[in-house]
Amino acid sequence: MTNLETLNGIFCEVFSVDAEALGAGFDNKSVEGWDSVRQLSLTTAVEDSFDIMLDPEDILEFTSYDNAKTILAKYDIEL
Amino acid sequence: MFLDLDKKERTRVAAIDDSGEALTYGELCDFAAEFRRYLPERALLFLLSENCHGSLLGYVGCLSNGIVPLILSARTEESLYTNLRDMYRPAYMWAPEAMAETLGYAEVFRSHGYVLLATGNAPVAMHPDLALLLPTSGSTGSPKLVRHSLRNIEANADNVRRLFQLTGEEKAMAILPMHYTMGLSVIASHLLAGATLLLSGRSLLDRGFWSMLKEATSFTGVPYSYELLMKMRFMRMDLPKLEVITQGGGKLTPEMFRALAEYARDKGKKFIATYGQSECTARMAYLPAELALEKTCSIGFAEPGGQLSIVDADGNETFEGEATGEMVYRGENVTLGYAYGIEDLQKGDENHGVMHTGDLARRDADGCYFIVGRLKRFLKIFGLRIGLDEVENLIKQEYKADCYCKGDDEKLVVLVTDPSLVEALPGFIEEKTHLFHKNIEVRLVDAILRNEAGKVINQ
Repeated sequence: MTNLETLNGIFCEVFSVDAEALGAGFDNKSVEGWDSVRQLSLTTAVEDSFDIMLDPEDILEFTSYDNAKTILAKYDIEL
Repeated sequence: MFLDLDKKERTRVAAIDDSGEALTYGELCDFAAEFRRYLPERALLFLLSENCHGSLLGYVGCLSNGIVPLILSARTEESLYTNLRDMYRPAYMWAPEAMAETLGYAEVFRSHGYVLLATGNAPVAMHPDLALLLPTSGSTGSPKLVRHSLRNIEANADNVRRLFQLTGEEKAMAILPMHYTMGLSVIASHLLAGATLLLSGRSLLDRGFWSMLKEATSFTGVPYSYELLMKMRFMRMDLPKLEVITQGGGKLTPEMFRALAEYARDKGKKFIATYGQSECTARMAYLPAELALEKTCSIGFAEPGGQLSIVDADGNETFEGEATGEMVYRGENVTLGYAYGIEDLQKGDENHGVMHTGDLARRDADGCYFIVGRLKRFLKIFGLRIGLDEVENLIKQEYKADCYCKGDDEKLVVLVTDPSLVEALPGFIEEKTHLFHKNIEVRLVDAILRNEAGKVINQ
């Protein structure tokens, strides 16, 4: 599985959506039920899957699909 | 006046919310007087709450004027809201401006982002002691409500004020929702003390929360709040103003409990674990900060103004010495009872100051209580109380299928016999309860076995 597929899989699982739904605009403003429980679930799954430890700042910024990609780039995860 | 609000200095700040604006005690009192002009002497009102000034003013306006609010989350799922509305037929609504139009009632007046709406419903008969209604579960929208008197609320506020020795200098982080008994307890106790509430509806993963926390002298959370705080490594942050961290709404793991106790010791702060139920206007017991390291996971002693005891398996009640059994609480914060429907609003005090908690507790030789189990059928996940019977009823109504709910404070487990429900239920339960689907497990079983008494035996 590619890194992108792994990331997509995490989003799909947490929000119960298909990968087609992901993209620009998939964020905490427009996605129903995006709360702290789900955000933390995302970041925990990302940490486990990519074997990284996110800075608290990055956990706070993990508020959209696009942000997630930008943040992963900071940890040298190529998507 | 309610919580002696008119005895505080008028210019003192009562609350700051996410808008950054300050609300003074004088403004609270003036609003209460204004609110009275638009309402009859006694009425039932639905308060659709958010943690903001408008919502707080509605609460104070109601309680100061004999208007009985049922406080519901403004995010309550629509069919659950409709169910409660049709069942209790409130004459008024106090709702966020953004929701007012959808609700479709006549506007009476608006203030601070909230609107008073008249539904046109006839007045409801209510007992003179009834002052406040709260849902037993913040989420499943059960029509079962807890009936509070004014004395319940003021006794709780005073007990909590004494327990934490609150003064007017306090700035309390108030992030627990207002429709949740402990959220209201934080609000009432600090208003009684003349302190300042930092009222926030933000997520703990929102930058705004963290800048507010830097100003706070105390933080009150449920176990899940502390999971988030620890994930954000707040223990390494510089929070010089923070003096007290306190927890309620379920059990912390021993590891988290110890970590918080050690953090408090190392940083010169106080960690105070508490215990409570909505049936007793939130708080009932607390572990004094100086015992936090020694008595891991204990809920300590009864709060000032309350009394705890244990009734053992033989029915013997004891107040001291080692014992295990159902924990019983006595105090003026024990609520009047439940309401299951509109007729129950006429009922008076059914508990008479005594609450059989439904929790199994152990008391050690030092008199400290530890919760070891539960007699009543509910879980507490992320501080949300999930009534198992209520979830079963929701499923049975929707799918006409047999099911059985169990679980622990991590996970709700639903046993079903119909294979098609395995896929459908997590989404359905998530929608109805706001519980995260990862904390729901649906298990397919051949049969749900019941004994002669109807009790399910396949555990």
